[in-house]
Amino acid sequence: MKPFDYKFQTFEPIKSFRGAPREEMYVPGHRTCAGCGPALNYRLVGKAAGRDTIFVGPTGCMYVANSSYLCTPYAVAWIHAQITNGGAVASGIEAAYKVMARKGKYDGPFPNVIVMAGDGGSVDIGLQALSGLMYRGHKVLFICYDNESYANTGIQTSPTTPYGAATTFTPPGKVIPEGKTLFPKDPPQLIIGGHPAVKYVSTTSIAYPLDLINKVRKALSYPGPTFMHMLTPCPKGWKFDENLTVEIGKLAVDTGMWTLYEWEDGVYRYQHLPKKYKPVGEYMKLQGRFAHLKEEHIAKEQAFVDQKIAHVKATAIPVEAVPPVAVKKKKK
Amino acid sequence: MPQERNLTGCSAAAQGAKLAEVEVICSFPIRPYTAIMMELAKMVADGDLEAEFVHGEGEHAQLSVVLGASAAGARAFTGSSGVGVTYAFELYSPIAGGRYPVQMSIADRTLDPPGDFGSEHTDALSFRDQGWLMGWACSPQEVFDNTLMGFRIGEDPRVMLPQAICQDGYFLSHIPDKVILADLAQVREFLPPYKAPHPLSPTCPVSHGPQIRPDQGAPMDAQRAATFLNLPQVIREATEDFNRIFGRNYDPFLEKHRLEDAEIAFFIMGAHANTCRKAVDALRKSGVKAGMARLRWVRPWPTHEIAEALAHVKAVGSVETSTSYGGAMRGGNLIHELRASLYDLDERPVVTSFMAGLGGETIWPEDFHYMAKVLTQMAKDKRADKYVRWLGFEAD
Amino acid sequence: MSKKLPGYGTIRVPQEREVPFGAITPAPVRQQDLFVTSNWRMVRPVIDQETCTRCLTCYIVCPDACWSYNEEEDQMEWNWKFCKGCQICIHQCPVECLSPIPELDFEDGVQRLEKPF
Repeated sequence: MKPFDYKFQTFEPIKSFRGAPREEMYVPGHRTCAGCGPALNYRLVGKAAGRDTIFVGPTGCMYVANSSYLCTPYAVAWIHAQITNGGAVASGIEAAYKVMARKGKYDGPFPNVIVMAGDGGSVDIGLQALSGLMYRGHKVLFICYDNESYANTGIQTSPTTPYGAATTFTPPGKVIPEGKTLFPKDPPQLIIGGHPAVKYVSTTSIAYPLDLINKVRKALSYPGPTFMHMLTPCPKGWKFDENLTVEIGKLAVDTGMWTLYEWEDGVYRYQHLPKKYKPVGEYMKLQGRFAHLKEEHIAKEQAFVDQKIAHVKATAIPVEAVPPVAVKKKKK
Repeated sequence: MPQERNLTGCSAAAQGAKLAEVEVICSFPIRPYTAIMMELAKMVADGDLEAEFVHGEGEHAQLSVVLGASAAGARAFTGSSGVGVTYAFELYSPIAGGRYPVQMSIADRTLDPPGDFGSEHTDALSFRDQGWLMGWACSPQEVFDNTLMGFRIGEDPRVMLPQAICQDGYFLSHIPDKVILADLAQVREFLPPYKAPHPLSPTCPVSHGPQIRPDQGAPMDAQRAATFLNLPQVIREATEDFNRIFGRNYDPFLEKHRLEDAEIAFFIMGAHANTCRKAVDALRKSGVKAGMARLRWVRPWPTHEIAEALAHVKAVGSVETSTSYGGAMRGGNLIHELRASLYDLDERPVVTSFMAGLGGETIWPEDFHYMAKVLTQMAKDKRADKYVRWLGFEAD
Repeated sequence: MSKKLPGYGTIRVPQEREVPFGAITPAPVRQQDLFVTSNWRMVRPVIDQETCTRCLTCYIVCPDACWSYNEEEDQMEWNWKFCKGCQICIHQCPVECLSPIPELDFEDGVQRLEKPF
């Protein structure tokens, strides 16, 4: 029996900012903080995905801040999901479109179904639904925008909060000087290898917009489930000046706290690998959430990052990539 | 000619869903409703039903999947039992308030602790105030019929509400009885296709569920409540149409058995009504003027219809197969709203309640005879001596 | 009998308090005018069109999409209505053609809006 043609969309990569689609699917007019990393991420993802898209928005900053009050900045279809079930609601939407297409009730291009979940809604309270979605093979892109906390409720720790970060649930104190004592989960690694239907997982950052847009378009061109992990710095939660959002994103990559890579059906490819890594202190000193740390804590963080870097060096296939957002030149 | 088959309640529900041409089904196994999903799985695998059969990772996921499917414009169906019903609790209000008319087919089951596969109504009753249409069948035939009626009522543009179509676990879900099915043509005459008013679609983008302020929350609640004021009329119309097209004879809200001249009455819901009916007939033979009012829809609660049906009765006992620990009557759930319905009558019947069938136990004809004795005495005394009697567990 | 029983009352939401069915709202097209954010900013980015190389970096890095490239005029245009003054664009501009100028220095500087949102 010939497989049914659902009219899945495919996307070409872009080579420059000029080549990015000009239309905004995430328009001005939302209550996110000035300089909000996740908001910039949403905008770039919307640009990459285009009009035939349905966003699923689990509760979080990218729900509450975006949709206050009774109005949203989404120029495409969007639905609120619980923080617990982004993956499941998206599964239902995708299943509905599949059966409606087969029954002749819908004949347009198969919509991009994209879950925009925070780190909590992806690998903490939302983990079950994420895994179910990945397992069942729905054609859905699950995006974890990582601001490394439960930001919307006032910055509480989540499983991706880095070691040593101060949050309102991991405040530094006399007995617990470092604040957060646990090391974070690695979201892409939770998905890779354990879910046979998944053929593409990648990480990216708002500091590398072309990398981000191209990876989103690549993920959307897959006929099955895909997962992306985005670094989206949060000025309020990480305590830095809001104009530094993109710079912090770049420093994360320069220090090895974040690595940009793709995993495609068993093959890892790395983008923008630093030739020489900067010490993690340079990244952490710009952020108030690390201001309480002593030398020994920073050393622990460095050791954790060094482990990651060693693994990358052992396995990496670095690739040429479009240059990142231009670095601020020194004042004359 | 519609087929006539011997079906369990689970099979009847599956046949109803199939004839309703459900489009997205989300499964997760839990006793005793699982057979509904097993039968639907086979239908889909054989191509007898064009639907997406989604293996949910749990009951919370089941309700989430059907929410998404309904929002996208597909007719969605799911189900559960017992603690599965309570695990999905987070979704009941979002689904009802989002106006997604999904159907949840519940074969009820006693709640943990510990595991007890037997029937109790508490599981589904626990979410009765979340804004769903909810009712119990008393036969596999009625399970089949309510499945179709549920979609018709829930998807009516004046309503747009999800439905919980419930049946007693084991007694209905697993014991077969005669069911007259239906032709697809009859069903299509009764049940138009689902038309979501603002589906999630690239062609006409909308936002479902933006954050609101408290002063916007109050009108949302009011609008949801206003739907329930219109709902009884829709139920009446749908039941009338159903009776006409399929040749049945349902009262929209209450099955009234020998109630017109009854002096004592049982107020009951679900499968144990079958025993009750037989007991009423036996009591009549021995000269007791007994009657039965069987509640078909617990939401919307038919306050006026109950008051009118029971106004002339001298003593009413609700037969409770559910628990409300610490509740006003220290017994079950139906008694509170039963008393509330009768409160404004000029002459109020004496009202009491009986806890029976808990844990999935059988309610025997002797139990109804005992209840009749109690009610007769109360009618004579013109007062109730107790709010509740826990049958088999009374100390005095 | 039912004449004597209480009714359920009526429910009518006044027009000014109406909320959409099922909390389903229309999607905005180019901007969401129900949530204007111009009064958030304390500085606004001012562009030197001569130095600007039209690299489109400011357009790409703005979380609020407040920079757009006007192809016909070949220049960058700034959205007065929504810019929150976060200064990411100023910080990221590779040729430093953007400067932060205090909002209240401008005649059309936003001090307050009629409603907060």
